[in-house]
Amino acid sequence: MSNKFTRYVSNVKSKYKLKYHITYYILIAFTLIFTVISLTGGMKRSSAFLLEQIGYSIILAVSLSLVVGFLGELSLGHAGFMCLGAYFAAYFQNALAPDFTKSLPLLSLIVAMLIGGLVAAIFGFIIGLPALRLKGDYLAIVTLAFGEIVKVIFENARAFGGAFGMKNAFRFDTDFLFIVIFLTAILTVAVVNNLIRSKHGRAITAIRDNEIAARAMGVNVSFYKITVFVLSAFLAGIGGALFAASSNSFSSKTFDYNYSINILVMVVLGGMGSINGSIIAATVITFLNVKLAATLTGNLAALKNLIYALILIGMVIYNNAPKLKDFRAKYNLRNLWSKLYAWLHKLFCKKKPVDDPAAEKADEGDWSKIPTKVEMDAILSTDLTPDTNYTPDKPDKPGKEKGGEQ
Amino acid sequence: MIKVLTTLINGLSLGGVYALIALGYTMVYGIAKMLNFAHGDIIMVGSYTILIFFNMIGIPLVGLIASTLISVLVCVVFGIVIERTAYRPLRGASPLAVLITAIGVSYLLQSIAQIVFGTAPRTVILNFMGTITIGALKINVATIVTLAVAIAVMAALTLFVNKTRTGRAMLAVSEDRGAAQLAGVSVNTIIAVTFAIGSALAAIAGAFTVMKTYTVEPTMGAMPGIKAFTAAVIGGIGSIPGAMAGGILLGVIETACDAVPVLSPYKIAIEFALLIIVLLIKPTGILGKKKREKV
Amino acid sequence: MKHTAFFKAASLTLAAVAGAACFAGCGGNGYTDKNTEYYIGVSGPLTGGAAIYGTAVKNAAQMAVEEINAAGGVNGVNFKFVMKDDAHDETKSPNNYASLFEDGMQLSLGCVTTKPFLATKTDVVKDEVFTLCPSASGDAVPQDASNVFQMCFTDSGQGAEAAKLVKSTYTDTSSVKIGVLYKSGDDYSVGLFNNFKAEMGANYGGYNVTEASFTDETSFDSQVQTLKDCTFFFMPIYYTPAKNFMLAAKGQVADTAVYFGCDGFDGIDSVKGFDISTIPQEVSMLSHFNSKATAGKAKEFVDKYNAKYTSAADKGTLNQFGAAAYDCVYAFKAAIEKAVADGEKVPANIAAAEMNKILTKVFTSSSFTFTGATGTDIKWNADGTVNKAADKYIVKAANNA
Repeated sequence: MSNKFTRYVSNVKSKYKLKYHITYYILIAFTLIFTVISLTGGMKRSSAFLLEQIGYSIILAVSLSLVVGFLGELSLGHAGFMCLGAYFAAYFQNALAPDFTKSLPLLSLIVAMLIGGLVAAIFGFIIGLPALRLKGDYLAIVTLAFGEIVKVIFENARAFGGAFGMKNAFRFDTDFLFIVIFLTAILTVAVVNNLIRSKHGRAITAIRDNEIAARAMGVNVSFYKITVFVLSAFLAGIGGALFAASSNSFSSKTFDYNYSINILVMVVLGGMGSINGSIIAATVITFLNVKLAATLTGNLAALKNLIYALILIGMVIYNNAPKLKDFRAKYNLRNLWSKLYAWLHKLFCKKKPVDDPAAEKADEGDWSKIPTKVEMDAILSTDLTPDTNYTPDKPDKPGKEKGGEQ
Repeated sequence: MIKVLTTLINGLSLGGVYALIALGYTMVYGIAKMLNFAHGDIIMVGSYTILIFFNMIGIPLVGLIASTLISVLVCVVFGIVIERTAYRPLRGASPLAVLITAIGVSYLLQSIAQIVFGTAPRTVILNFMGTITIGALKINVATIVTLAVAIAVMAALTLFVNKTRTGRAMLAVSEDRGAAQLAGVSVNTIIAVTFAIGSALAAIAGAFTVMKTYTVEPTMGAMPGIKAFTAAVIGGIGSIPGAMAGGILLGVIETACDAVPVLSPYKIAIEFALLIIVLLIKPTGILGKKKREKV
Repeated sequence: MKHTAFFKAASLTLAAVAGAACFAGCGGNGYTDKNTEYYIGVSGPLTGGAAIYGTAVKNAAQMAVEEINAAGGVNGVNFKFVMKDDAHDETKSPNNYASLFEDGMQLSLGCVTTKPFLATKTDVVKDEVFTLCPSASGDAVPQDASNVFQMCFTDSGQGAEAAKLVKSTYTDTSSVKIGVLYKSGDDYSVGLFNNFKAEMGANYGGYNVTEASFTDETSFDSQVQTLKDCTFFFMPIYYTPAKNFMLAAKGQVADTAVYFGCDGFDGIDSVKGFDISTIPQEVSMLSHFNSKATAGKAKEFVDKYNAKYTSAADKGTLNQFGAAAYDCVYAFKAAIEKAVADGEKVPANIAAAEMNKILTKVFTSSSFTFTGATGTDIKWNADGTVNKAADKYIVKAANNA
């Protein structure tokens, strides 16, 4: 028994690597720092608002990243799932169980999050169904349509406040809500990371890289597509519920197509298929949005969007343009890092760094950087000629070269 | 009865505008195999051009025609420049990347318009033609003009695509880009021509949109763009008759919804629900061709 | 540890510390301790489609503050006015409110529009900041909030007033065909419409009423077809769609018809590119402010405003939103002066909650009345709503032959 246990521990120890968990440490550190600040009364309310926004933006970006970055399908209706989550969570807290919410706000919030998530997940399932039949651009327009339909229906639904918007009488205490949101965000990151690092994650990325090849390898494409849509919608619904908890009143106009695009921008700027990138981009963009809103007024308010748009276009072209392949190989962040490291090392240690190519190679095994990006096309078109000389059963007909068709 | 007829004519007219925009989407999709999300914002660019030159010229009819022609030119330039700078480097990249770039271009155009012209809506009255009465029917002249011009432009486009060398080259590129290239068609030129035609159609559609809404603002292209895109998908994206059919269908449905007070609030939901239903039944749209997927 | 991992850890920790430094600030109350002037704050749209209202409020309030300060302030203490842009977006206003409050705001004009204000309301009530809304007309604005007052009418008040006006103008129910055009999905429009309907009574009290709604302003052709036979139009919508409807209805609706709107109509006669005299029908609205007044405080305000704001950006921003904001600032002055006369102490660095206690008492007392550009002898009810007269104000008379 104890032998087994020690073996387990040593197993975990040998497999444990700080860099796989660094995200959690940083997020937890963040949460702890701000909790301490908040508890000592040093937190401004505007800062708490900002933290809340950053928290649910992280949840939304990470959940969208699952669909866009890992499954490789474009969803333009993520705000629709968020909207469903927000409305149903607020409806539960205000109309169904106001007394419960008043007496046990945290428990009520957790239940509301689950309700919001579940409702969104059900619709994620419904939207996932056409995802089986439709691909790429068609799916994008269906998700966009879904988001708009949700918006219009809530705009006219009297039970949810209709045109007047949903009133939330139980706004969660500002001093503590960001802690709840951050803990949920950490949980979300853990769920998504663990899914992506599992064999299911590899199946999902295989679908992204080449659906037909993945199917040929025995991956249940339908199952994984639906699962990813449902999970992503569930998480977005939770994000919506937290959004609802952080507002006094909100209306479905907020969750329009532009909001979906904003989340998409976070995912793309963070780097498609990078959870850490999504987290950083969500944080930075939300922070800038709030801070710049105060300084850029009048016609200059659009300057921020202009810069985002330029960065978006530039990033996508840099990352995807076939002609920039060599350029990319030469000038990228990884090279920059190693150069910077070498420079710093020279500066402080005055010793040549051990530039071990094996270490570089091992780094590519970092799951958060999608090492599963296997070029299936390349594999499928590889010449699989065995190294032993092939002797045909029958001699070739004269005048016709073997394998000439290839 | 009169009401039904008027609604139908209004619907056809609005549908004509959507069809013009949808043609831009569908041609670009057919030939460049990409969704040009920024197409709606070309309408906005065209409308601002019209606003500026219409006010500068000052004489209603001359101003309208001249400013529309200038707007066609400006939009063609915009279309070609956008294609060259943003989309051409990504030729051969994944559709997702191209789509996201297109969204980026859409945002870029909107924010530039906001910085240059401000966010406040501007008013311009292009609809100065009054109404005509045919029996018990009383209809805006602009509505009839819109419908007539839309039909004429669509007929001209069909002729162009089917009868001219460039048009047939476009068809060839849309059928098989590689084979067309081997046959001596310059794919880059054809794609640029497609963007130019699409943008020109968007400029004309912009004039009619402003005629109907009297308003020019930076985000004005987004909703007509999305609706026309919906129309193109309903009709079968990549198919020129499909875009016309889809656009007109959507215009009629929208006007009919507006004519029934109970349905009016749900107008957009009904249109998008129609899209989802059509795609579920026939994933390539009403007139779209089914493509076999190859490894 | 691999060097990349180490650097990542180091840089991210650094970022975390830097981030923490951004958020941390001096906490607790006492935000107003350093104030040397009374701090008035407001959040409103300076960009976007509703920018004309925010700009009006900003200009008018700024003007009032400058006038008062030039005349020696309130018992020697000056006013300070700060406005933050929320672009009529309810997700931005809570941030604006919080930063204003933390900056030392003692008196608030709330938000220019209703929905953004409602998004901040819980905090406003909790912080006990005295709030006098110049233009946030939603019914929910002053509800269950002892510290929130309105300078404008509530939406229900406007809808009901409009219905009363219809009843008094057209005593014979068969003499008029009423058309109602509202924007579904819009809180202002639907609110006014519902209250109009309620005040008219069951089945519109026997009146012949046709309803039509719209969602986006693509084309008003269908709505014109639905409503073209009506002779009186109640249009609880903003001026941009209203103007588009009037243009689309040209030649379809009888020239003798009347277009009647509420405060959303304000500004319809100053839209660039739209000449209201080309509309043959009468255009009128329910308003507490007459921009063409020939006497009284309203005229004074109009003259001063037109003299001060002449730039292109400020053109067409003279409307009742601004007039109400102007009055709000003067009402603050009057109330503080009355409180001081009653023996209260109102120092410049008074805490927001203290200021609220004093002013609430003044505003709800029966002896406090205020006369300004938007009304004479204005009084406030205990529920925060305003008590003053509203008039039908004809923007443009009919081109009767």
